[in-house]
Amino acid sequence: MNKLFYPKLALNNIKKNGRFYFPYLLTCIFTIAMFYIMCLISFDDGLAQMPGSAAVRSIMGLGTIVVGIFAAIFLFYTNSFLIKRRQKELGLYNILGMEKRHIAKILYYETVITGFATLLLGLSFGILLSKLIFLLLYKMLHFAVPMGFSIDKFSIFLTVLLFVSIFFLTLLKNLMHIKLSNPIELLKGGNVGEREPKTKWILTLLGLLTLSGGYYIALTTESPLDAIPLFFIAVLLVIVGTYCLFSAGSIALLKGLRKKTNYYYTAKHFTSISGMIYRMKQNAVGLANICILSTMVLVLVSTTVSLYVGVEDQLENRYPNDISIILQDPAPMETDSVIAAVEKSVTTQGLTYKNDTVFTSLTFDARRKGDTFVTESNDYMTSNGSAELQFLTAKDYANISGNKVDLKENEVLLYSKNNTLQNQFTIFNQKYQIVEHLSSFPTGADYVMLYINFYYIVVADQAALDRIYQAQLTTYGGNASSLTSYYSFDLDGTNEKKIECSDTLQKLLNNSISLVDLDGTVLSEEAVYPEIFLESRQSNANEFYVIYGGFLFIGLFLGLLFLMATVLIIYYKQISEGYDDKERFEIMQKVGMSRHEVKTSIRSQIVTIFFLPIAAAIIHIAAAFKMISKLLSLFNLTDTSLFITCTGLSILVFGLIYAGVFVLTAKAYYRIVS
Amino acid sequence: MKILEVNNLKKVYTTRFGGNHVQALSNVSFSVEEGEYIAIMGESGSGKTTMLNIIASLDKPTSGEVLLNGRNIVSIKEREISAFRRDNLGFVFQDFNLLDTFSLQDNIFLPLVLSGCSYTDMQERIKPISAQLGISDLLAKYPYEVSGGQKQRAAVARALITNPQLVLADEPTGALDSHATDGLLRLFNEINFGGQTILMVTHSVKAASHAGRVLFIKDGEVFHQIYKASMSEEEMYQKIADTLTIIATGGEHHE
Repeated sequence: MNKLFYPKLALNNIKKNGRFYFPYLLTCIFTIAMFYIMCLISFDDGLAQMPGSAAVRSIMGLGTIVVGIFAAIFLFYTNSFLIKRRQKELGLYNILGMEKRHIAKILYYETVITGFATLLLGLSFGILLSKLIFLLLYKMLHFAVPMGFSIDKFSIFLTVLLFVSIFFLTLLKNLMHIKLSNPIELLKGGNVGEREPKTKWILTLLGLLTLSGGYYIALTTESPLDAIPLFFIAVLLVIVGTYCLFSAGSIALLKGLRKKTNYYYTAKHFTSISGMIYRMKQNAVGLANICILSTMVLVLVSTTVSLYVGVEDQLENRYPNDISIILQDPAPMETDSVIAAVEKSVTTQGLTYKNDTVFTSLTFDARRKGDTFVTESNDYMTSNGSAELQFLTAKDYANISGNKVDLKENEVLLYSKNNTLQNQFTIFNQKYQIVEHLSSFPTGADYVMLYINFYYIVVADQAALDRIYQAQLTTYGGNASSLTSYYSFDLDGTNEKKIECSDTLQKLLNNSISLVDLDGTVLSEEAVYPEIFLESRQSNANEFYVIYGGFLFIGLFLGLLFLMATVLIIYYKQISEGYDDKERFEIMQKVGMSRHEVKTSIRSQIVTIFFLPIAAAIIHIAAAFKMISKLLSLFNLTDTSLFITCTGLSILVFGLIYAGVFVLTAKAYYRIVS
Repeated sequence: MKILEVNNLKKVYTTRFGGNHVQALSNVSFSVEEGEYIAIMGESGSGKTTMLNIIASLDKPTSGEVLLNGRNIVSIKEREISAFRRDNLGFVFQDFNLLDTFSLQDNIFLPLVLSGCSYTDMQERIKPISAQLGISDLLAKYPYEVSGGQKQRAAVARALITNPQLVLADEPTGALDSHATDGLLRLFNEINFGGQTILMVTHSVKAASHAGRVLFIKDGEVFHQIYKASMSEEEMYQKIADTLTIIATGGEHHE
């Protein structure tokens, strides 16, 4: 026999099954290209040299793993679809006298051909595209774009390794399948399991419970810090719920509708409901997959886009002033000395500063119990009803707010968001009268309160603050908080100037400082190394862009991958259903259904199958909206309307793409059925 | 009264680009009286199925006309044709053509539902028919849960439930064992006795021997016909077998 017989036959098979194979090959090519690009980015040397690239690299590394795992699952899924469709063909070969090892040979050659072709095309595509992607990425990260064009051997090696293993495993699975079935089974393979599905009440109930549980968590979680662990629980519950409800709930619902004779026995509902019951049996898992993938795409894209678009806003939130200097446990006169030194330095650099504020405060944690703050632990996370208390003097308050207040001993002003205190509270066995509940507070308080129960307390004078400080020191011992001074101001000038200034100040503060009094007289020659932190909004901006740009890139990249998966699953679903439905619609036409009625019935079924998952995805998003915006506030994004806009736009764009796919597959479906 | 008249039916199949012409029917004419039970016989490729498809309005003839109750079904508009078929014709097929997604009852209801019948009306109609066909206990079952004979009886019920002018049966016994075949043929006789006109296309001499008249088609024309009249089924069987032998060995055309 001709040596090339099997390879030729294999090639012919691929051509003959083009309708199934083409999308599969396309997916392989895209996934390979994407994986290669992901690898390239996470191992890129150019990126490694950029400031703040460590975060991006770890994000990209994680992304690479996700893409790899996803590629494996996804190619397995499509392969199982392919082999199911081809059972009849393989069975025929078997009956016509080919032994199973011959069939195995054909399958082997098919895998080799497709694997080789897709790897070649995918890698070339990836290499060509990588430059473009790099340009895009660097732009997002606000990096200078390096010239040149690189091909990374290691990335190629990794890509080839991964996909060759995937192809090998799919081949192995197919061979097992062939080995385990006899020719008759193979021949019939296409149409088994046409039994009516049973209603699974327990699964339906479980689905309802888990889904509502997930929604309940998402809708009732108030604290962003709690939201992190709860979010994963909620996601898990919703995923379980989605699978249960799509597989069992849908059938229960359809069967319920079937019981309503007046509704069921009408030309419009009769064929579609009975058809749907069967479709759901075969497709529930696929539809649930689509639903979850769509939800992931929407969440990924909308959050990363809003984070990136809102980056200036987040900077403003996180760094209310251009420069903030924080002094931990300052020695007497230390704060003033630092201020003097900084002022001098700024002036020497020819810059002017404005909006400068100074205040000293004491911050520690306690647990609120009615009107009393119980001081058991100085750790916000450990107990329920945790409260963070910040004390400052009336003098400092007057300085930063411009409101002069006069307080007697044991009288305080209070600012808190979820304030339920009446007019007094007790701490360290001391009762304090609340003279006034403040309606606003400077120092970026509102932002902090988004995720922590913060109480800003203004006490009468330094003596009162010291008393609380001492009491706290005795109670918490080694865990006690220290007094902290905050000195912040804005600068005039360009961003570059501001960054330069902050660098100079950082250097200045790293050195020892001599303590001086306000007139500049040196008090002590002994050098002090104070504990000082300097934060500059402009210097940190780059880091923000790197991190959020990295997020955005990953979000869009994975979004694209998931979208592709969604599209492909839908396509395969419709095609395979088309073949199953062909016979049904032929019979219906013979029995007296008109072409027009057939079309209407097909359309209503396809529309339901198509838009059910995306409708469910949108409901999921709506339910998760509150929780996600809480999580985003942890990333300093507080602009809810921005998030709403981004989510809306993501849904719109996704919906348009989805509708486009719908039109295309519906066409393919009609072609098969009629 | 003539319920069906087929006049000078001709059907030529051409390939898409008009290359090959195949003449399936050259000139077929016959008529069916109300209440008749007619079997049409012929070899494979003789044009039986083409003719049945044209009478069933599933296909259009190249020329000629088909009058059902005096109305030419060839000229019925595409839009009305399904409704017309539903209301006037009942079908029984060799491979049953029941839908696995419906219970037997819903399969039987299908044409009624399409016509917009009410549920109570449908229930009224199914009772006597299912009793007559002996499938009353099976209505809730699904096609894959019952035997071939039972499936075909359900298909007959579906054909009868619209009270059609004419029942068209295409090889109804083709997929049945001898026991189920006997049952079904007895059933056809009963239904016919009740006044239902039946037109059956078959290969089976046994099936044809139950009919009141047998038409033989050869090379796209009606070649011969036999009336059963007072003959017994055995005599009829013999006569049909003889005729088939003559056709197969190339007999003369006679009316």
